[in-house]
Amino acid sequence: MPQMRYREALRLALREEMQADENVFLMGEDIGVFQGAFKVTQGLLQEFGEKRVRDTPISENTIVGMGVGAAMTGLRPVVEIMTVNFSLLALDQIVNCAASIRYMFGAQVSVPMVIRMPQGAGHQLGPTHSHSFEALYLHVPGLLVAVPSTAADAHGLLKAAIRDDNPVIFIEHETLYGRRGEVPENAEPINFGEAVVRREGSDVTIIGISRMAETALKGAEQLAAEHAIESEVIDPRTLRPLDLDTILESVRKTNRAVIVEEGWPHGGVGANMAALIQEQAFDWLDAPVARVAGGDVPMPYSKPLEQAAFPHEEHVVSAALSTFRDL
Amino acid sequence: MASDVLMPRLSDSMEEGTVLKWLVEAGGEVSRGQPLVEIETDKANMTYEADSDGVLLEVLAQAGDTLPIGEPIARIGQAGEASSSAAADAEGGAEPGENGGPGRDGAPEVGADAGPGQQQAHADAAPVPEPAATAVSAAAPEPPPPEAAGGNGRIKASPVARRVAGELGVELAQLEGTGPGGRILKADVEAAAIRGPVPHEEGSQEATDEPPREAIPPDVVTAPGVSAAPETGAKGEVTVQELTRLQRTVSRRMAESKATVPDFSLELDVDMTLCIELRDRLKEQVERAPSYNDMVVKAAALALREHPRVNGGYRDGRFELYSKVNVGVAVAARDALVVPVVPDADQKSLGEISRQARRLIERVRDGEITPPELSGGTFTVSNLGMYGIERFTAIINTPQAAILTVGALEKKATVDERGRVVARDMLTLTLVCDHRILYGADGAQFLARVRELLERPLSLAL
Amino acid sequence: MTIENVTPDLASEGTGVAGSPHPLPSRDTCEKVLEKMLLVRRFEERAGEMYAKAKIGGFLHLCIGEEATIVGATQALRDTDYLMSTYREHGQALARGTPSAEVMAELFGKATGCSGGRGGSMHLFDMKRRFLGGYGIVGGNLPLAAGVALASDYTGTDDATLCMFGDGATNQGTFGETMNFAALWSLPVVFMVINNQFGMGTALERHSAVTDLSQKSAGFGVPGARCDGMDLLDVHACVSTALEKARGDRVPQLVEAVTYRYRGHSMADPEEYRTKEEVEKWLGRDPIAAFSKRVVEEGVLGEEEVKRLDEDAMRAVDEAVKFADESPFPDLSSLYDDIYVIGDQVRRPYWSTDLRSPDTHRGEEERQAGEVAHELAELGSLHEPETDEQQREARARGEGG
Repeated sequence: MPQMRYREALRLALREEMQADENVFLMGEDIGVFQGAFKVTQGLLQEFGEKRVRDTPISENTIVGMGVGAAMTGLRPVVEIMTVNFSLLALDQIVNCAASIRYMFGAQVSVPMVIRMPQGAGHQLGPTHSHSFEALYLHVPGLLVAVPSTAADAHGLLKAAIRDDNPVIFIEHETLYGRRGEVPENAEPINFGEAVVRREGSDVTIIGISRMAETALKGAEQLAAEHAIESEVIDPRTLRPLDLDTILESVRKTNRAVIVEEGWPHGGVGANMAALIQEQAFDWLDAPVARVAGGDVPMPYSKPLEQAAFPHEEHVVSAALSTFRDL
Repeated sequence: MASDVLMPRLSDSMEEGTVLKWLVEAGGEVSRGQPLVEIETDKANMTYEADSDGVLLEVLAQAGDTLPIGEPIARIGQAGEASSSAAADAEGGAEPGENGGPGRDGAPEVGADAGPGQQQAHADAAPVPEPAATAVSAAAPEPPPPEAAGGNGRIKASPVARRVAGELGVELAQLEGTGPGGRILKADVEAAAIRGPVPHEEGSQEATDEPPREAIPPDVVTAPGVSAAPETGAKGEVTVQELTRLQRTVSRRMAESKATVPDFSLELDVDMTLCIELRDRLKEQVERAPSYNDMVVKAAALALREHPRVNGGYRDGRFELYSKVNVGVAVAARDALVVPVVPDADQKSLGEISRQARRLIERVRDGEITPPELSGGTFTVSNLGMYGIERFTAIINTPQAAILTVGALEKKATVDERGRVVARDMLTLTLVCDHRILYGADGAQFLARVRELLERPLSLAL
Repeated sequence: MTIENVTPDLASEGTGVAGSPHPLPSRDTCEKVLEKMLLVRRFEERAGEMYAKAKIGGFLHLCIGEEATIVGATQALRDTDYLMSTYREHGQALARGTPSAEVMAELFGKATGCSGGRGGSMHLFDMKRRFLGGYGIVGGNLPLAAGVALASDYTGTDDATLCMFGDGATNQGTFGETMNFAALWSLPVVFMVINNQFGMGTALERHSAVTDLSQKSAGFGVPGARCDGMDLLDVHACVSTALEKARGDRVPQLVEAVTYRYRGHSMADPEEYRTKEEVEKWLGRDPIAAFSKRVVEEGVLGEEEVKRLDEDAMRAVDEAVKFADESPFPDLSSLYDDIYVIGDQVRRPYWSTDLRSPDTHRGEEERQAGEVAHELAELGSLHEPETDEQQREARARGEGG
């Protein structure tokens, strides 16, 4: 099975879908001549030309809005926003248009577009380039939200996102772009709403979102090695739709749940998921659902501060242990 | 000199009590008035306070043990005065208190032979024993495991532990939680189910001449394997539910009453028209007007004052006539029946009765009712009118002489003074009497007086 | 209030009365455009009445006074061209051919409305007639229009897009962003500022440093032109030229139509920001009266015919009201329909979640939800925001749209 980087897997998905469908085109800041801020689109301009790989001015709201308009009238735009923080400039078009148009116009049109953007801390980019906003987009009915954490998922989910007839918020992670992983030859799209169990275990269910799926796995290994606790690690892969069934099935087995996310705690993915778990599996819980989230602060620049502001495996271990005993 | 702590009498009808939880661990210092132990009585859970200063030398009744009133449950004395048995127990019972693992190995930390070191302790009240101060504390170096129940008597157990306990028939009150903050976890329940019932009052039962009622099975289910195994048959799958202590008390007392009291019932209809008017007018005055049941309580209380026998009891071949008129109001609690009491109901205004009754009912529903509030009833009123029950008989709350039941307020065709059929708001009252103390005429006069008061309700409003 | 070139007093620049620089078109066309303007006028008047009767909720923005601008511009479109508008768009939908019954039903929130009762007054939509909607966010439709034009260009059609917005929208970031994009990518789009001289209650010279709005796009590479929005023929000529340049030469255009709305911003507008005299002056240039007068004077249509057209319009609007009134509200169980396109590659559960009932259920799967959820939905739907009386009082106080 070929090994490739996360960014290469994304590029492969883009190339395959562009080859398969003439109406798929890319637009975004510096995706063409510059080859992409994170080099995801490297080489695609040369391969597909200016018509289908379009460098845009720095106008996030209008980039997304034009994508919506084009999607309404037959195209399948894949829009890249340079980082998730910049997508806030486009929030009007994402929420008021992309997410709402189909519903508010009585299903006369749909908006088949993908808005790709990387998020996350770890590269000392400070408070305007390092946040995690999957919770923000999860909040909005009408959007689908994907948070791939491996190369294979990045590839399969992006293919599914491009083929989907709904607006998809496709959240990549800056620190994952260089990660290598196996991507099967001729891999098919990965269905949205299908979580994957990354590690089986019987004692506690740990749900990791985006990069935190990786952190959750590290925490699980530590829990096994040092505390004889076998964790089941679940990567939901998409937050809308959410494969709650897989999560509940695991929680009914382990009676414990820990949710790990990089974003802010209040109103976070974990807050929502914890509510769903206790609503649906209250009588199966042996401990309150534990949450691990990023610090409740704008992401600081200074390296030690930044590292302290997002979760690491120690946080996962600690949260998991807290469901067993007093720490 | 060490003294015994005896199973206290904590309600007027209490005959035995169950130790729920020790709030001070063996070896701990106690001072007079300090919460010592939680006892489940036939009416409620209550905290019993130490009546002397000293050290809790020995715990004789473990959590879950049920003993008659007056039986020693612990010993309090001076430091160093430890009894030999306490020291021996401590030696054998002390185990590491570490609960680090998830407990999936099923090894129970709590056993029937749990020594003083495992006694549950009240986190706030219990001082950590001073090292080497006594043999007991020296043998129990680990800090006490956190309590599984809050001071309010609620057992701290996880949702899944509660569910599994119900399925396996394990009583949570018997368990010591190994989870955070002493929470009882699923593993604790499963371990207890495998372990089987806690041996109960070993040796003591053969020594005492138990009356038949003491033959009730011990608090823990007889054998989880038996009670949990779904029996199938013509009735389908059978779910066996164990009674709570409260339910057990209710069932025993009701059976005793039905078996021993020669009862008869009297019934009459009351025209509530003026009561309705009165209530409507009161509604304009106060935010929460008295209910019709409050009016019945008030009318009964006034009538009881005039009919002392009805406000009495039959006990051991004698009549007891009570100077106070304390009317109990039957309230359906969760899975049980509780009768909080409005004391001196004849002295109280309708508004006071109403407020007090409402508060008592809320306290029952919130699980906050305490034995004193359930004690001293001289008469009982029971109302099922809210369920549309027109009339019903009830079982006398012995040794009381009678119980009054209240049906639904309904429009009924009646014949008025001029022979016309008119619709009136009627209520049926039924008085169930113990014929050993009340005869037909006694009950009838009392009931007629209650009707008179309700049909001319101005006197109730005084 | 003075605006360069176009003022209510300026009879020479555009007046649709006698001095219009444009000759009248054919009898059929005159009849058609007059019919449309009358329909828009009568529809809006009746919508205002229905709003007062609380048949219509929310905000209601009427376009009375802007009929020549709307009809003149839309007449310049081909059937295959796209039209986008703002939240003051009843006239645009009607002019594009959406049946007045469907528009009125939408205002009534009925299932038969052109957006299925989901959008209301501000969000009319008619894909069949390529009317791509009213939008509630000022300036929000500009990027969309550029995107539609991009799709037309991308797929090699010669469809053009006409995007209308108000004078206030020229101050939004999307205005500059979209002008730049459209010029940069040579998109077949015409932007049309309907300058009714107020951004809600803020007069043009109080909200825009440059009051000749036709100049605001030039710096981005989009040439601008200005027309008399009260003269149907002037608007039509100006927009036609612009569409030609956008479609044929791939040079996007801006057209500013100077017009006036006779009613307040919305039904709840006490109009304290302008004088009666000013409104009176503009009423003297009523685009429908002017056009009617001219067609009669030039003998294209008889007075009786004009009268008949007006009666037809009123009858059509009566029927629209009747239709809207008699139409059912959307089925409550459709609440979760069409949030998403349900495809095979996505698992259905948990698209969205309804937490308003004890038996949490699965969004679009609501039709399979428990009885409690349905009961609660029904109970919820029975709530009234306010009584009619309260609404009238609130309107009198100037609240609530």
